[in-house]
Amino acid sequence: MSVGRIALNLKAVGLIVGMSIMWYALSVAQADDRPSDIARGAAIAAQGVAPGAPACAQCHAYSGASDGSGAFPRIAGQPDYYLAKQLRDYASGVRTNAVMTPIAKALSSEDAADVAAYYANVNAPFLPLKNAKPMLVKRGEQLAKVGDAAKDLQSCNNCHGPGGAGEPPAIPYLGGQYARYTAFQLTMWKRGFRKNSPDSMADIAKRLDDQEIAAVAAYFQQVNASALAATHPKE
Amino acid sequence: MAERLKPVDVVTIGVGLTGSLMALELAKTGLKVVGIERGAPRFTVPDFQSPAIHDELRFSVRKGMMQDNVKEAVTFRNSSDETALPIRRWGSFLPGTGLGGSFVHWNGQSFRFQAADFIYKTHIEQRYGKKILDPELTIQDWGVTYDELEPHFDRFEYLCGVSGKAGNIKGAIQPGGNPFEAPRAREYPTPPMKEPYFGALFRKGAASLGYHPYPQPSANLSQPYVNPEGLALQSCVFCGFCERYACEHFAKASPQTVILPALLKNPNYELRTNCQVLRINLDNTRKKATGVTYADATGREFEQPADLVLITAFPLNNVRLLLLSGIGKPYDPKTGEGVVGRNYCYQTTGGATVFMDESINVNPFMASGANGTMIDDFGGDNFDHGPHGFIGGQYVGAIMTGGRPIEFHPTPPGTPNWGLKWKQAVARHYNHTVLLQQHGTSTASRLNYLDLDPTYKDAWGLPLLRMTFDFPENDIRMSQYIADKVVEIGRAMGGKAVIRGGTKRPYTTTVYQSTHNAGGAAMGDDPRTSVVNRYLQCWDVPNVFSVGASAFPQNGAYNYSVTIGALTYWALDAIKNRYLKAPGPLVRI
Amino acid sequence: MVEISRRTVLKAASLVGVAALPQSRTAAAPKTAGTQPVAYLFLNSEEAAFVEAAVSRLIPDDDQWPGALKAGVPGYIDKQLAGAWGAGERLYRSGPWRPGTPSQGYQLPFTPAELFRTSLAALNKELAHATPFARMSSEQQDAYLTHLEKGGKDLGGVPSDVFFTHLWECTLEGFFSDPVYGGNRDMVAWRMIGFPGAYASYYDVVDRHGIKINRAPTSIGEDPHGGIHINPGIPAREP
Repeated sequence: MSVGRIALNLKAVGLIVGMSIMWYALSVAQADDRPSDIARGAAIAAQGVAPGAPACAQCHAYSGASDGSGAFPRIAGQPDYYLAKQLRDYASGVRTNAVMTPIAKALSSEDAADVAAYYANVNAPFLPLKNAKPMLVKRGEQLAKVGDAAKDLQSCNNCHGPGGAGEPPAIPYLGGQYARYTAFQLTMWKRGFRKNSPDSMADIAKRLDDQEIAAVAAYFQQVNASALAATHPKE
Repeated sequence: MAERLKPVDVVTIGVGLTGSLMALELAKTGLKVVGIERGAPRFTVPDFQSPAIHDELRFSVRKGMMQDNVKEAVTFRNSSDETALPIRRWGSFLPGTGLGGSFVHWNGQSFRFQAADFIYKTHIEQRYGKKILDPELTIQDWGVTYDELEPHFDRFEYLCGVSGKAGNIKGAIQPGGNPFEAPRAREYPTPPMKEPYFGALFRKGAASLGYHPYPQPSANLSQPYVNPEGLALQSCVFCGFCERYACEHFAKASPQTVILPALLKNPNYELRTNCQVLRINLDNTRKKATGVTYADATGREFEQPADLVLITAFPLNNVRLLLLSGIGKPYDPKTGEGVVGRNYCYQTTGGATVFMDESINVNPFMASGANGTMIDDFGGDNFDHGPHGFIGGQYVGAIMTGGRPIEFHPTPPGTPNWGLKWKQAVARHYNHTVLLQQHGTSTASRLNYLDLDPTYKDAWGLPLLRMTFDFPENDIRMSQYIADKVVEIGRAMGGKAVIRGGTKRPYTTTVYQSTHNAGGAAMGDDPRTSVVNRYLQCWDVPNVFSVGASAFPQNGAYNYSVTIGALTYWALDAIKNRYLKAPGPLVRI
Repeated sequence: MVEISRRTVLKAASLVGVAALPQSRTAAAPKTAGTQPVAYLFLNSEEAAFVEAAVSRLIPDDDQWPGALKAGVPGYIDKQLAGAWGAGERLYRSGPWRPGTPSQGYQLPFTPAELFRTSLAALNKELAHATPFARMSSEQQDAYLTHLEKGGKDLGGVPSDVFFTHLWECTLEGFFSDPVYGGNRDMVAWRMIGFPGAYASYYDVVDRHGIKINRAPTSIGEDPHGGIHINPGIPAREP
C-alpha cells in the first residue's frame, strides 16, 4: 500500500526519469548483484516471515519510527547497507540481542536485503518527544560538533555527518534516534558487549562517562527538530 | 634593544617533529626546555574537525597550513648563472609552519632508508667503481650506519604505531613484506592497512611481471593503538583528505597525537608560539652559542639564553639559520670549499597515469595518505646499475591519496585543455583512472646548493634563503629508465591507455612534486665536507645541534620522515648519555 | 503517511539536474537555485559579462550536466577577487620585479584582483572596437580564448597566457570546490564525477573493490536538512 504511495509521490514530482524506485538498494553494488525488492521488503515488514520472524512492524512500526519509548530503535531512513549489515551481524553472532538474533537467523539474505531496502526508503515523521534539560543537550551538542580536547575525543559529526545525519552507505544517522537507544548502544560499546563497528566506537565510548553518554543521546534525539526550528522560526 | 630573559638549559628552534621529540626526551631528564615556534598553536580538537578540515580549496589549493610567503619565501634559480627570484607562491614544495610543523599534514608514508644509503659513497664505489659517477656528483657517506640506527628506527615506528608488514626480520625474509628492505628486529607495531582497489590492481599487475608488491608502511593507523607515551591513536577511515590536511580522527601520527600531550604536561617544558627566531647568538670566540634572539607576535625582540641550542626548524630553515648566525663556513660553488648549503637535494618523482576500463570503479576518494601498494625492485641500489650508467633508484607503486577534484581530473592525451570535450572526458574518466608513482633518490651535486639571497628579504628584514637546483643528469637517466618499467606495469594492470611519466629538466618550482627538501647541513666524518658530525652536532659550535633532513648528504628513494625520527632518537641518545655529562665535541678529529 | 524528504530524494537523484529538484513539505527551501541573480562585489558589468561568457565556454552546459555558468562559477570568481586571495594573500609581493624563467613561476607585481582588472579592461577595450566577447558566437569565443591561451598578446602589462591561466584555474576551482564558496551549486560538479565531497568515512567499504557509491555528495556548509549555507568570505588562513 505505502509502496504505491511512494511511487505516486515520485511521479507527482516528476523526478524519476527512467529510474527504478530502488535508490538505496543501488547505492551499494552487492556481491550477488540481485536488486533489492522494496515491495517484497514492505510485505516482510508488515507480516514477517514464517517461521521464526515476526513482523518488523510489531516493534519498529511499519513506518520504521518504532514507538517513542526508545526500547526499539528508529530505523526509518537508515542506509540499507547499514541495516542489512546489522541483520547479517545478528545472524552470525557478531552482534547479539535476545530479540533480534533469532529473527535475523530466520531471514534469508534476500529477505534481509529487501526489508533493509524497504526501511531505508521510508522516512517517518519525528515523534513529538519531551526534550531533556537544556544543559544536558548543550553538552551533547558540544561533544557532537566539537569533541573534547581534554579527552582526545573527536566530534561525533566527523563520522556521522552534520547534525548526525549519517554517512551512507556504512555510517548510520544519529539525528532523531531515540535517546534511550543511543545511550544503551554507547554503554554496550563501552562495556565491550557490542563489537560490530570498526574498533573506533568502543574506543570512543570508553572515553565518555555516563553523563556524557546521556548528553550526546539527548542532543541527537532532538537535533532535527531544533535545526528545523532554527531555519523555520514559528511566526 | 632585545630584552634578555632568564637562561634555560635547552632551546628548540621550531616545534615540529624534531623539535617536539627532542624536547620530550630532554624535559624528561629534568632539563628546562623552551620550544620556540614561529607559527600558531593548534590541536586536533577543536582545530582539525570535520567538516571544515575537508576543504580542498582552502588547504590543497590555497595551502592553508603552509608557511605564508608574504612573511618569508625562498628565492630560486636553476643554476648559478641565473638570477634567483622569489618563489612568490609555493608550488613544488610546501614548507609547513605552526605547532607540529609539516608532521601535522604529511601523508604518513613511513619507510626506512636502505642500509646502503648510509654508506652511499663507499657502497657505490665498491660495487661499480668511481667511473659510474658523473663528475659533478658529490655523494658522501653519512658517518652512521643502518645497524647503529636500527634500534632508533624501531623506537620511532613504535612511537607512531606504524602499520605495515615486515619483509626482513633479522635477515629472514618474510612473506607479504618488502623482500628488499633492510633487516629489522621485529614486526611493525600494527598490521597493514586495508588495501584499496587501486592497490589491488597494481599488486596483480606487478606480480604478473615478477616484481614483489607489498603494502606501504603507514602512520595512518590500521587499528587503535596506544604508544609508549600512553597516547592513543585510532584507525584511519580513508577519508581522502590526508596530505596538506590535519587528521580529525587521531589516526595520523603527528606531534599532536604522539608527542605533545605528554610533552605539554611536563613542567620542565615551556612552549612559545608566534615567535620568530631571528638568529642564534654566539660568544666572542664564535665557538659557543649563548642562546637565540627572537621576535614575538608583537615584533618585540627577546634574547633567550640557553646552554644547548637545537635547530629543529625544517631543513631549509635549519640551513638559513646557520647562515644567518654565521655558524660554519658557507659553501662556495666556484671553489668547492665551505660546507653550509652544500649538497642540497630534493626528490626525483613522477609517474604514469593509467586509464582503466570504465567498468572499473577505482573510487580514489576512499584513500589514506599511505595506503599504497608498491614495489622496491627499482629502489635505491636494489638492481644492478652496471649496464645503465646511472646510480640511484625509485620505488614504484599505486599510492593514490584521494580524489579531490580541483587537482585531480585526469583526461587522456588528445583531450582539449578545456571546453565540452574536456568536461565529458573528465566525467568519463574520473573514477576509472589510477595514478602510479615513481619516487626516488636525489643525488648530491656540486651545482646544487643553498645560500643567502643578496636582494630579497623576509618581513623581518633578513635575507631570504636562495636555492640553486636542477635535477642532475644522472637522476634524469635513472627516472627515464624506470618510467619504461612503470608503463609495463600499467599495461599489465589492464590499463587501456598508459601515459608515461619520468622526470625532465629543468626542475620547475611551479608544479608540486615533494616537500622532501634535504641536505645543506650534511652530517659526516669529515668537517671539510660536513656541517655536523654523526650526532648532528655542529663541528664549529658544539653546543648547537642541527636536527632534521638538512643533515642528509644526499636523499634516498623514500619519504624521509621515519629516517628523520630515527636520526633524532640517535642524536638524543648521544646528547643524553654523553653530551650532557661532558658538554663538548662528541667527535674529535 | 509516508513522506519523502528532500534529503532522501537528493541522495537518490544523482543524475538529476538542478532545475528538477522538488520542494518537499517538511524540508527547508533550497538555499541555492539556478535562477538566483549574483550580486557582484568586484566585477563591474562589463567584466562580469566577459567572465560569464568565458566560463560558459571553458566548461559549457551539456544535456547531461550543467556547466560553469549554472554552477555559479562567475559568483565564485567575483567573491575570490573581492576577498583576501584577490588582494594578494600569501603572495610574496616585494620587488625588485624581474621577468623570470618558466621554472621561477609568477613574477608580476599584480595581485589577482589587479591582474583580472587590468586584463579585462584591456581586452574589453580592444573588443569594444570589434564585437564584445559576450556577443560573439560560440565558435568565435572559443577561438578568442584559444588566442589568449597561446600567449603573445599583452593585456595592459599582463601576458594573455598568464591571464588565461588565472581564469582557467579560477574556473576549475569555482566548478569543483565546496559549494560553501559560492560555486559548484548544489554540488553539480561533484555529482557529475561521483565525488562524495566533504564528509568522508570509508572504513567499511574501502576494501569492497569496485563498489559503486551513488550517495549524494555532502558539503562543508550543509545543515541536517540538506540546505547549503554559502559563506563566500572564507579566507585561506591557517586553522
